Amino acid sequence: MLELDDASRHYIVAGRTVAALDDVTQHFSDGSITTVVGRSGCGKTTLLRLLAGLTEPSSGRVQRAPSHSIGVVFQEARLMPWLDVAANVAFPLKKRLSEAEIADRVSDSLSLVGLTEARRALPSQLSGGMAQRVAIARALAQHPDILLLDEPFSALDAFTRRRLQGVLIDIWQERRPTVVLVTHDVEEAVLLGESVIEMESGRVVGRVPLDIPFPREATDPAVVDYRRRILARLVDGAPFSSIQNPRRNP
Amino acid sequence: MPARRILVPATVFASVILLWWLTHQAGWTNAYLLPAPAAVIEALVDLAASGLLVKHTLVSLQRVLLGFGLSVGLALPLAVLMSASRPARAVLDPLLEFARQVPPLALIPLLILWLGIGEAQKLGIIVLASFFPVFLGFRGGIDGVDTKLVEVGRVAGLSRREILTRIVLPSALPELVVGLRISLGYSWRALVGAELIASSAGLGYMIIDAENLARTDIVLAGILVIGAIGLLSDLVLRLAIGRAFPWLSPHLEAARA
Repeated sequence: MLELDDASRHYIVAGRTVAALDDVTQHFSDGSITTVVGRSGCGKTTLLRLLAGLTEPSSGRVQRAPSHSIGVVFQEARLMPWLDVAANVAFPLKKRLSEAEIADRVSDSLSLVGLTEARRALPSQLSGGMAQRVAIARALAQHPDILLLDEPFSALDAFTRRRLQGVLIDIWQERRPTVVLVTHDVEEAVLLGESVIEMESGRVVGRVPLDIPFPREATDPAVVDYRRRILARLVDGAPFSSIQNPRRNP
Repeated sequence: MPARRILVPATVFASVILLWWLTHQAGWTNAYLLPAPAAVIEALVDLAASGLLVKHTLVSLQRVLLGFGLSVGLALPLAVLMSASRPARAVLDPLLEFARQVPPLALIPLLILWLGIGEAQKLGIIVLASFFPVFLGFRGGIDGVDTKLVEVGRVAGLSRREILTRIVLPSALPELVVGLRISLGYSWRALVGAELIASSAGLGYMIIDAENLARTDIVLAGILVIGAIGLLSDLVLRLAIGRAFPWLSPHLEAARA
């Protein structure tokens, strides 16, 4: 269970109250994969931080099964500079699993992100994209029940991004965590979401279910069509209800 | 690269000595005020041969290491306590801020009254001089911890204690290292100050004793030894830290005590 009930988050900026998140109610069912898309500053990151428990709502509630473990991939890699790559991936697992299990998890997730060779490198020796892949490996190694990702692929080159998008879908299909992924890239949102939540000025302005089977191709006409419609909505402000499922309403 | 790292400073030192020798040869300097390099080297050799140099050096070294060790031993727990506890901070901050403004040398008269003229007084001066850099370095490191790294620990479900030991303390290390190096340098400076007053052994004593005997060559020899040991101890500290924490290597180049 993962849910926001009338959740708001206000900040006081120069004496004025600004709502980063304004009365948002959303349910994320167990084992679903949802993408959240919107401009910079629309409240997507705040939404994710509330779900992660890193920020408390100013009003309303965040509900999460207490037994559910959380893995988070932040916008920045956030690696511990004093630990090498393998130790960074192992960081959340220490004292929770046996050394042998940790070693297996680390190897598996480093190979998933293609960084087996770099396991002994220090973060200062990594490029930005490599560091971000280590951060992704760290979250995957946790085998979390809830996986929250904030623009996880934006630091990556196009080829690596495409590959890791595939890895994410594979992992999701295999282990079925509840995934919420925040992105400003509409194509990515359409490629990865069972449904896409669109946000504007701290509010959820639409939630579109996409019944396109995984793995999806960027060139798939259905993907292209959704992308075009969501983009049109974001740019022109066309009402969200006008976006129909192209399969049901050809 | 390592060759150049030795070559450049060696050339600088050699040039200074050459200049020193030349001014002497040209007769520009008074041999009493600035003895010739050869005279200073001769004094060094004599001191070494008589065993006095080793004796004074060992006495001084022991005082520095003990004083420095005491400072570190006091500063680290205090920094952790003050970073973790708001009441401790509220009580201790003003007191320490006041104490920080007072030069240790100004406290020498009080220290002599309280601690006598023995070892305790000398250690007291060294501790006063070397406590603050390491204390402030560690506090700055702890307070300056990247909250983004702390959040990584929070989402991983780490306890407060685990966050302290696994994230906050390691991330404070670079600033701690800078503090340690500055402290060690200050220990040396304070040591000589301490030994100039009421002392019967140590490099500071050797210098003041030589001054009384009008032996400028020994004064200069003492200064050279103190400088050389200071450089050497900083090098040893840097090597030890670099070996223990390889990821700190870039920080070690940046900061000079």
